[in-house]
Amino acid sequence: MSAEHHHEHDLPFWRKYVFSVDHKVIGVQYTVTGLLFLFFGFCLMMIMRWQLAYPLEAIPVIGTWLSQSMVDADGVLIGDGYNALGAMHGTIMVFLGVVPLAVGGFGNFVLPLQVGAPDMAFPKLNMASYWVYLVGGIVMLIGFFVPGGAANSGWTSYTPLANIATTGQTVWLFGMVLLITSSLLGSVNFIVTTVQLRAKGLSFFRLPFFVWAQFVTSFLLLLAFPPLEAAGVLQLMDRLADTSFFMPTGLVVSGELQESIYSGGGSPLLWQHLFWFLAHPEVYVLILPAMGILGEVIACNTRKPLWGYKSLVYSAIFLGFMSFIVWAHHMFMTGMGTTLSTFFQATTMIISVPSVIILTCFIISLWNASIRYNTPMLFALAFLPMFAIGGLTGLPLGLTASDIHLHDTYYVIGHFHYVVAPGTIFALFAGVYHWFPKVTGRKMSEFMGKLHFWPSFVFINAVFMPMFFVGMAGVLRRQFDQTEQLQGAVVHGLTIMSSWGAWGLGLAQIPFIINFFWSIRKGEKVGDNPWEATTLEWAAPSPPPHGNFETVPVVHCGPYEYSVPEKKTDYCPQNVVMEA
Amino acid sequence: MLAESTYGAWFPPMLSEHGGEIDHLISVVHWFMLALFVGWGIFFVYCLVRFRQRGGHKAVYNPVKGKISKYVEIAVGVFEAFLLVGLSMPVWDWYKNEPPDAGADRCEIRVVGEQFQWNFHYPGPDGKFGRTDAALIDTATNPLGIDWENEDAKDDVFSQEMHLPVGKDIYVRITSKDVIHSFAIPTMRVKQDSIPGMEIPVWFKVKKDATTAKLKESMTQTYPIDKIKWRRIRHHVAVEDYQDRSGQVVLAKGAPLGNNLEQGEKLINTLRESGHTELVLQPANPLEVICAQLCGNNHYTMKAQLITHEPADFDAWVQEMIEDRTAGSEMFEDF
Repeated sequence: MSAEHHHEHDLPFWRKYVFSVDHKVIGVQYTVTGLLFLFFGFCLMMIMRWQLAYPLEAIPVIGTWLSQSMVDADGVLIGDGYNALGAMHGTIMVFLGVVPLAVGGFGNFVLPLQVGAPDMAFPKLNMASYWVYLVGGIVMLIGFFVPGGAANSGWTSYTPLANIATTGQTVWLFGMVLLITSSLLGSVNFIVTTVQLRAKGLSFFRLPFFVWAQFVTSFLLLLAFPPLEAAGVLQLMDRLADTSFFMPTGLVVSGELQESIYSGGGSPLLWQHLFWFLAHPEVYVLILPAMGILGEVIACNTRKPLWGYKSLVYSAIFLGFMSFIVWAHHMFMTGMGTTLSTFFQATTMIISVPSVIILTCFIISLWNASIRYNTPMLFALAFLPMFAIGGLTGLPLGLTASDIHLHDTYYVIGHFHYVVAPGTIFALFAGVYHWFPKVTGRKMSEFMGKLHFWPSFVFINAVFMPMFFVGMAGVLRRQFDQTEQLQGAVVHGLTIMSSWGAWGLGLAQIPFIINFFWSIRKGEKVGDNPWEATTLEWAAPSPPPHGNFETVPVVHCGPYEYSVPEKKTDYCPQNVVMEA
Repeated sequence: MLAESTYGAWFPPMLSEHGGEIDHLISVVHWFMLALFVGWGIFFVYCLVRFRQRGGHKAVYNPVKGKISKYVEIAVGVFEAFLLVGLSMPVWDWYKNEPPDAGADRCEIRVVGEQFQWNFHYPGPDGKFGRTDAALIDTATNPLGIDWENEDAKDDVFSQEMHLPVGKDIYVRITSKDVIHSFAIPTMRVKQDSIPGMEIPVWFKVKKDATTAKLKESMTQTYPIDKIKWRRIRHHVAVEDYQDRSGQVVLAKGAPLGNNLEQGEKLINTLRESGHTELVLQPANPLEVICAQLCGNNHYTMKAQLITHEPADFDAWVQEMIEDRTAGSEMFEDF
């Protein structure tokens, strides 16, 4: 052990904290970068919400600072600027914020510790994964500074619109290729680590649910991302080499026949299939790690084993498998025939069953519990009803007939944001509060935590709940000015409410930011296992040294042995044979 | 029935024959969702209170036994199967597989999306669409490149408003010139992507009494002037003249309340100061075709007025359009 310590001290600063191969440092790098991108993506959205609430009025304060590709001389947003904000908000939140935080951050830091490993299976690959991600992120940001501004064809980049878009789209595609590469490198590492580096005695069914969730997620990343990488390269070819993978014959843009540029014969729908073949599993990449975090936080703070551990695991695996065969439910309005749409709406209904089982297991876990209401638990508990809203509202969208009315409306925006924002992002906050003591050896302030939680909980519902009503009224998404249309003008009041909710939500993050930095230096010092939890990461010192464990852990029991009758304490760590 | 046809924060007016089934499905699904949510919610809140950590209270290690959760899960599965097979698939089957018979009673229209407008091509009384040629496209005068010399095109109609007869089968063939758009009429519960290189049909029927004239009537409302926000009534017009104190008409019958926020607010203020406490307004045109797929910079402005007529009035409109065009081209030839 001491050799390990010496080795660590020998490393120069830039090898120890910058180009580190230590999974914990990489995890922290991912977490901090991911949080910064989340905040940036959120800021883009707050600008959009101004235009939605007060169309064609100058953006206060920052309006005139924005580049000429986004605003006019008075600081009023223009259509392309709004579309760029929308496309980049989606891209940044999904590919640069939530996934890197959930998988790169939490996965990297916690997974090797929870399986009792000294590090990831391939530490250098791990480092490469982070740096490729960071470069991908910077490339994405460069998009804002090229002529015409950042990509403005939606985060979905549907062709032919994306093919004929300004340079920003090319930059977006380069960024995506890098981000996908990064995810692939990461996922291989997670799979091998889970399979090969588990501690002695840690059988698959003794793995914490968090590890299972990350394990399934890694397979999704590994198998779903390559088609999008291929599609991205094809779109790049269309844009840069005038190929026609996605360009049909006879296209007339602004009165000009495109035959002199493109040979034609391509299919615009091919892109959608390739895109959604990634992007639906991607939804589960967003939600599964969140459920994993939830498992840990709920088991620990209910002081009892998770109810239906095996059902949870099987459901996660089934969810992962099914997520590959539901993608075309995003495309019901493309003219899909009955046979195909019947298949896809049936698989969509089927995939809701494991989600219901997972949610049910978590809720029943509360029965006969002794619930500790600390900040991580508050975020975890709030996840449950809000994820339920997100999941349930998927039903009318998954049925083709009701989708006719609801497709591409704000109802869709409300639906998936309830899954990802009050769902996943709340779970991520739970994770930050829960594992902060492991990373720093200090706890975050409970008071500030609650000051973060309660306003966030209220405001996030104020943002997304009105969207269901706006969407039901027929207001479409991606509208620069919804009052341009009759049904949008009538319900504009609800949209204003969403906007104020969003700005309130922004303010509600200030306690978190203060708490985060304050607690790194001044937070209450705690021992190795402040929550009295059972899983292996709590057996390591806080913060864990290079190589993680002082003695190689051996596992004796399942992950959630809380309140075992007739034991000395109400928790039995996995690596301890507990005396009666 | 039409009296309920106002825009608001739940369903927009529903004016097609098949739309009722879609709304019914959406309503049933929402009651189902509400029941599940409230059921779960009660259990959840009960647990939060009953099983909170406190002195003397201990968690129980052994899992709770009971089959309720299994039954709930099975019930959810069965009900979803019912929604799918019983309520969703029949509508979709009709929407996709049962086109109205071709014939005199079927009103056929080609719809072509382009950045940022909808183009409508009617075959006219002969029921045949004239030839189109991309080489003839002129963005200002002939966006579809219709070959007006072609025999079948002589009685064709080109319009950027969509006119429909009520109570008749409407058969729309949808495509696009440039990028993907989505042909959407919220009030008809119709949506179909318009995709370049593909022509995709949709069909529906406008309810018999849903003519534009009647809808305007039914959507006429009295608005207390203190509650009027310009953005919410920007597509409305006055149904009578409103004067200021000097007797001068400041808001004429049929006129909108200004063309932008500044004008609108100024006018509303003037009216308030002139002693008016309420305004009677109606939509300038109650129905719109919009674009539901992001299609570029001005995507949000991409809409067409939808005007519904009694069948006889619709035929008259077609005749008028044909005559206008022939007169126009004769004038052009004379010139």
